[in-house]
Amino acid sequence: MSNIKRSVSMYSLQDEYARGSMKLPEIFEYLNGMGTGLEFISDQMMHNTPEPTEEDLKVWDSLVEKYEPTLVCNDIFINTCLYKNRSFTKKESINALIKEIKLANRLGFKMVRLVSKTQADIIEPVLSYAEKYNVILSLEIHAGMSFDNPHTQEFVEVMRKLNSPYVGLTIDTGIFCRRQPRVFANYFRHLGVNEELIALTDKVFASGSDMKVYNTENGKPGERFAKDVAALIKTPAETQYAFLADGYENSPFDILDEYMPYATHFHGKIFEMTEEGIEYSIPFDELIKYLDQKGYKGYISTEYEGNRWTLPGSPMKEKENTEAHQALLKKCIEEL
Amino acid sequence: MFENYILTEGSCKNVSKDGKIIGYQMQTQITYYRGIPCSMIHEVKVAADGVEVPREKILFSPDGEDFFTLDELETVTSYKWEFGEKATVFVEQEGGLAPGEHEITLTTSIRTAYIPVPVGGFKTRKVVIA
Repeated sequence: MSNIKRSVSMYSLQDEYARGSMKLPEIFEYLNGMGTGLEFISDQMMHNTPEPTEEDLKVWDSLVEKYEPTLVCNDIFINTCLYKNRSFTKKESINALIKEIKLANRLGFKMVRLVSKTQADIIEPVLSYAEKYNVILSLEIHAGMSFDNPHTQEFVEVMRKLNSPYVGLTIDTGIFCRRQPRVFANYFRHLGVNEELIALTDKVFASGSDMKVYNTENGKPGERFAKDVAALIKTPAETQYAFLADGYENSPFDILDEYMPYATHFHGKIFEMTEEGIEYSIPFDELIKYLDQKGYKGYISTEYEGNRWTLPGSPMKEKENTEAHQALLKKCIEEL
Repeated sequence: MFENYILTEGSCKNVSKDGKIIGYQMQTQITYYRGIPCSMIHEVKVAADGVEVPREKILFSPDGEDFFTLDELETVTSYKWEFGEKATVFVEQEGGLAPGEHEITLTTSIRTAYIPVPVGGFKTRKVVIA
């Protein structure tokens, strides 16, 4: 039996929440029914984060008391762009992170996910707070901004130097896309993006690569896109498509080998669960086997992102995709 | 992406004060998946029947109670535009929109800390003013 555990990120249910069909009580009940852990985004579903009202905290407490969910992780953001005319100073970022650590502790979380590009130099100054409040600081490794990103490398350097159980990594499985997400391509096809550009992306993935690597290897220095990609970009939608296509990486699992000792959490990114019960782009069965071999004992949180690629007028299928992915994870874990 | 959030269907209407129509307003939800302080709003633009509204005629309210000009909004750090909540965009225009059908385009965008360009979009709707 494996020690890998399942949870669901509230990211998956964002449209249900935005439309008002699910608020916190319905979400807690829903996750309870699935028997899965809870990953929260307090900026999303708790007003005035990181300083919510006592009233809202009471509502939270009563739901936690009623359903007793495993509170896996709170996803936080440091708003370094709060002011239009300058970025946060280091001190301002440190103070913002301390507030988030205290809130996570107040809500009952033992881990926060730091968004990609969180400055590495604020980690050591807040480490004593992380220890005192028993909150792990876990930087997200996200496709498009993953291990080759200078910000990520700075964080990794600090993490290795501190070598603390309170500093680690959250790996987003969007770095393991073996195919371009079909819902993403269809969304941009609907906006008129030319078939050649979409087919080129498919071809690059089929060759075992991805658009970030392809553009880097085939572009001139200082240019964002490879020559043949740039030649196919004529409309604003095609520009947007090409920029976003970089955000799906096709890395081998062993890219994680050296980082697994620091992996505190996984975001099980999904775009489309197919009728066969698998994710269209990401081979979760292989991933779970890899994680088990490496002795991973943490959670993998369903993070459904097909919501934003749902065609206008088509029904959102957040719950369906979330449930199908949870079923897939359960099966993969049980089969180990 | 998030197009359904930009301009709430059926929300555009004239606004009266002391028996006089002083403008019109509409509701909008953030084109993102979390709430942000209002100072991180990058741009709010309105076009009515193809005519761009001057920036200084636009006010934004995160809660429908307190309204800020777009210049003021840049320093509004203590009010958040919450995810899932409807903010109000008010256009100051004596007499408001004439009764009948109009085409309204609302454009919004915000700054995030980790995406290098502002995130947002626009939505055009046919609206009917009673």
